[in-house]
Amino acid sequence: MPKIEVKNITGKVLRDLSLSVGDKEILALVGPNGAGKTTLLNVIAGLTDYSGEVLFDGANMDRVPPHRRGVGYLFQDLALFPHMNVAANIAYGLKIRKYTPAVIGERVDELMDALHIAKLRDRFPYNLSGGEKQRVAIARAIAPFQKILLLDEPTANLDAQTAKYFRSELSVFLRRLEITTVFVIHDLLGAEEMADRIAIMHQGSIEQVAAPGDILFRPRTRVVSEFIGMPNILDCDECTVLSTGLVEVRSGSMRLVLPYEGTAMSKLAISPHDIYISDSKPPGPALNRYTGTITEIIPLRTVVRVKVLVDGNELLAELSRETFDEMKLTAGSNVHLIVKLRRLRYFEV
Amino acid sequence: MNFKKLSISVSFAVFALYGALILSLFYYYDGAVFLEILRSSRTLFSIRLSLFTATVSTIIAVIVAIPSAYALSRFRFFGRQLIDTMLELPMIVSPVALGAVVLIFFNTPTGTFIQGHGIRFIFTVYGIFLAQFIVTVGIAIRLIKAAMDEIPVRYEEVARTLGASPARAFMTVTLPLCKRGIIASSILTWAKALGEFGATITIAGSMAMKTETIPVAIFMRLASADIEGTVVLVLMLIGIGLGILYGVRLLTGRAVPV
Repeated sequence: MPKIEVKNITGKVLRDLSLSVGDKEILALVGPNGAGKTTLLNVIAGLTDYSGEVLFDGANMDRVPPHRRGVGYLFQDLALFPHMNVAANIAYGLKIRKYTPAVIGERVDELMDALHIAKLRDRFPYNLSGGEKQRVAIARAIAPFQKILLLDEPTANLDAQTAKYFRSELSVFLRRLEITTVFVIHDLLGAEEMADRIAIMHQGSIEQVAAPGDILFRPRTRVVSEFIGMPNILDCDECTVLSTGLVEVRSGSMRLVLPYEGTAMSKLAISPHDIYISDSKPPGPALNRYTGTITEIIPLRTVVRVKVLVDGNELLAELSRETFDEMKLTAGSNVHLIVKLRRLRYFEV
Repeated sequence: MNFKKLSISVSFAVFALYGALILSLFYYYDGAVFLEILRSSRTLFSIRLSLFTATVSTIIAVIVAIPSAYALSRFRFFGRQLIDTMLELPMIVSPVALGAVVLIFFNTPTGTFIQGHGIRFIFTVYGIFLAQFIVTVGIAIRLIKAAMDEIPVRYEEVARTLGASPARAFMTVTLPLCKRGIIASSILTWAKALGEFGATITIAGSMAMKTETIPVAIFMRLASADIEGTVVLVLMLIGIGLGILYGVRLLTGRAVPV
């Protein structure tokens, strides 16, 4: 599977963009709407005009038409051929490339089994659910032994629960295929679940390309840190194992108990969404609950961000405007904080 | 009367107008004359000639219309607006005028050369093909373009990424997807060609047993005050036309934009 290099690409919204995707790597493109994520996929596939260079394994692709690039593309709207059943949709690329009926049959069966859609063989697209269409479209995109796979919002048509399950399944599937993959996704969490590296795009350029942990803990630009939601990064001064899979982390004089294996954690990220603020002491055990003093209030359009000083650490919490107004908080107010556990992210030494 | 009732009433009034006109034909209808005219070799020739020329000119028009409609539907190129406007020519210029233009063309040195060294169009069956083609090809392109506009370009892009060349993507994806639209457009083009009169009589003339199509025959009978004969031929033309449109309606499952 080839390495993809795009050099100094300009076209539509893209501005002098360069990016390299390693052999068999899974790279996520993340960024706000209009950042140029889909345009970049179209450039790689050869479906849009551009200036600059696109290289696959060092070979220049600029004059190679889309049908000779060997790039599978899952479009956001899936676009299953409505006049063909599931098996014919998957077999389309193989037939076009003139594989023998035996190879076509074998490949279609193999992909339908791998993606759990064997039962849908004779169904037509109008008769499929969103998730089923997604699976058929992926099978079709990779069927003709493509070297590169581009996925535009591969879970956009699924509900949150199904999307989460499908992301992990897709991630395993792609790694087994060892196919170089570039995918567009709008949320960072989804990108972290699937990608080897994440590229954050903004206004037609790439702000940062790095491993998921690095993006979170070492955002290089203001745009990146704003996009990832400006998490609270705490240094882990000490990490004590309480029992198997449970540790107590000390950061300054603040202590957190959380699920973690080992003691190699060096930093801890907590999203402002995951810190709840209350003006009265909440009931329940005191685990991961703190008291602090508000040092700054940052009102935004629909939410309010509040900086709270807790045991020497300044934490940023985010709450809805209604909740904020209800509690009548001001700078200097004492508040109670609860840190939600399940979305904590770590950086290891 | 509320707006809904008013609008429905107007539509029924239009229906009544056409219905009344068709019914009025039966005032002069005579069963014996009908059979006599229908069996006459001149009428049978006109019917055969009309069906044959309309079919051939429709086939040529559709063959030309499919690539033209595809270009206008999919690509933005220099002169596109000009071509698009020109296609409306048969709709805004009377067929007689179009026929006159063709006649004048064949009186220029180029036209005379074609007449002398290629196919003779003036006062021949080829003239009927040409007349019907000129009048219908613009409409055929318009109708087929409308059918292609409804097929998202995305399907072709998918086909391209799966290894299909642009022509292959068109043949395997776009064409099958707009098949119904093309068939419907072809039938309407055929119906239009079948009823074509003005350009046909100007270019091919009105020679009995040679270039006399059904519409031309109707005109000739009317000109010689043969009302019963006119009624018979008009009823035949209406019967064929409405039958075809009803067939298209069944085929497409909706009203056909004419």
